[in-house]
Amino acid sequence: MDTDPDIELAGVTHRFGDRTVLHDLDLTIERGEIFGFLGHNGAGKTTTVNILTTLITPTAGSARVCGFDVVSQRADVTRRIGYLPAEVRLYDHLTALENLEFFGRLSGVDNPRRAAQETLDYLGCTELGPRRMAGFSTGMRQRIGIAQAVLHKPQVLFLDEPTAGLDPVGVRQLRETVLRLNADLGMTVFMNTHLLSEVAKVCTTIGVLNAGELIYKDSLEQTLLRFPDESSLEDIYVRMEQVPS
Amino acid sequence: MIALVARQQLTTLHRQRTAVTVVGLFVAMTALAGVIGWSSTQTISRVYDQAVVLLAQTGTPAPANPIGIKPTLSLLSNMTVYLPLVGALLAVLLGHLVIADDRTSGVGRLLFSRRLSGPAYLAGKAAAVGAVLAVALTASLLVSVLALLIANGNLPTAADLGRLALFYALSLLYLSVFALVGMAAVLLTRKRSLALLSAMGVWLVVTFAVPQFTSGLRPTASLNPVSDPASATTAFFRATAHARPLSLSEQYKAASADLLQTGPAHAVTATLGHAVPLLLGAGLLALLVSLTVRRHDWSRSMAGE
Repeated sequence: MDTDPDIELAGVTHRFGDRTVLHDLDLTIERGEIFGFLGHNGAGKTTTVNILTTLITPTAGSARVCGFDVVSQRADVTRRIGYLPAEVRLYDHLTALENLEFFGRLSGVDNPRRAAQETLDYLGCTELGPRRMAGFSTGMRQRIGIAQAVLHKPQVLFLDEPTAGLDPVGVRQLRETVLRLNADLGMTVFMNTHLLSEVAKVCTTIGVLNAGELIYKDSLEQTLLRFPDESSLEDIYVRMEQVPS
Repeated sequence: MIALVARQQLTTLHRQRTAVTVVGLFVAMTALAGVIGWSSTQTISRVYDQAVVLLAQTGTPAPANPIGIKPTLSLLSNMTVYLPLVGALLAVLLGHLVIADDRTSGVGRLLFSRRLSGPAYLAGKAAAVGAVLAVALTASLLVSVLALLIANGNLPTAADLGRLALFYALSLLYLSVFALVGMAAVLLTRKRSLALLSAMGVWLVVTFAVPQFTSGLRPTASLNPVSDPASATTAFFRATAHARPLSLSEQYKAASADLLQTGPAHAVTATLGHAVPLLLGAGLLALLVSLTVRRHDWSRSMAGE
């Protein structure tokens, strides 16, 4: 690709007290990729997303999103990213539309009400707009969560365990949404997940994090070629953790 | 951004019925203070009337009715007890709620992955809490005027209205300190219950413990506005009595007593002097919360228990 990468991590280390959760992490994700970040609980996936979304400052190393440093150019980064944390909860006492309008204003969107309505229409959940979020199911919350993340048409979308708590229909809807956003808007997607089946259906590139260290990164296509003896992606994942590339 | 955060928070407080509950409690407190004031006035008048009859029978001239020489606003003297007790506690709860809800639900992570800065977020939240408290105190002011009208049979004078308005403005400043305590506690602790308990601990210390030391261990000093501390009996309490200007609760009560004329008359400068520690306290707390919110790790949700 001739454009700059959308995400660049160089020697990123992060410690919580004495515990090191990320060790010297180097990672590059090109524009338009759908990147699946795999790893066990506590591997450091969420910490990586927290650094990239400017929520925490890395202990060492540098991280850039859309060419901007996440620490010294925070405002430039936040303008260009969308973020959906695991188990999203917005303001229960506001309607979905009011929540989206609020986040639209926070993101500096022109005419946030119209943008909120258009986003709901685009995601096929117009009927949820006038309802207060207090009575929403996990799936409904997730759809509004995605709407708030993409309302301002970010260049990079971060999804942290987006399928957690979703039923199979919700998982499929999420998968279709991610693919549409990538195809229609050219959005780069960074997705933390446990679900290998989803990675196989959605992602163009995968990375595996083990105890804070990146042990594997390649395109899905190359991965499947590299491990021809394994019958499923799950087997490949197990093998990757045993034999770092 | 500040107005945006404040507007969202006010809508939430309105729909949670928190705002209307707070206003209702303030109105009820004021009405209660008015009823108690009116009741005591009526009791004194009845006793005076009976005494006048008895004195007339013995041919002794009756002294002037004490109610006549009592300042009009003293009818509301119980407000100087209710506001530091119930009002301050409600302010702690409001301050706690507006930040803790965002931390527990994890919505803070979303807010701070946007262009929002910590100080703007804090200012918006503080503005929303301040607006609810201001509405509650304005409602109290109106009920106070109504109580004075009913008890005295005529509207308070312009001077009395001015004193009343100043008293409620002072109360807003005092309650703001506790709202900030509630906010700070959420930012400095990891668990919601611990945050609330810590803030209530501060309220207890400021309201009850500190006055015990600074007024020489007089039990009533923590409840009633007493202008001059009684002579302390030990060297320790003589020493701690010098810290009285730092006792926010006592400074509030002393200034309130001046404004409502329930204590000995003082110069205006003395009344203003009592408000200075409150201003300093609110300023320092605002600074502390502002510094804390900048360094706060919003990536972590707060434990609900």
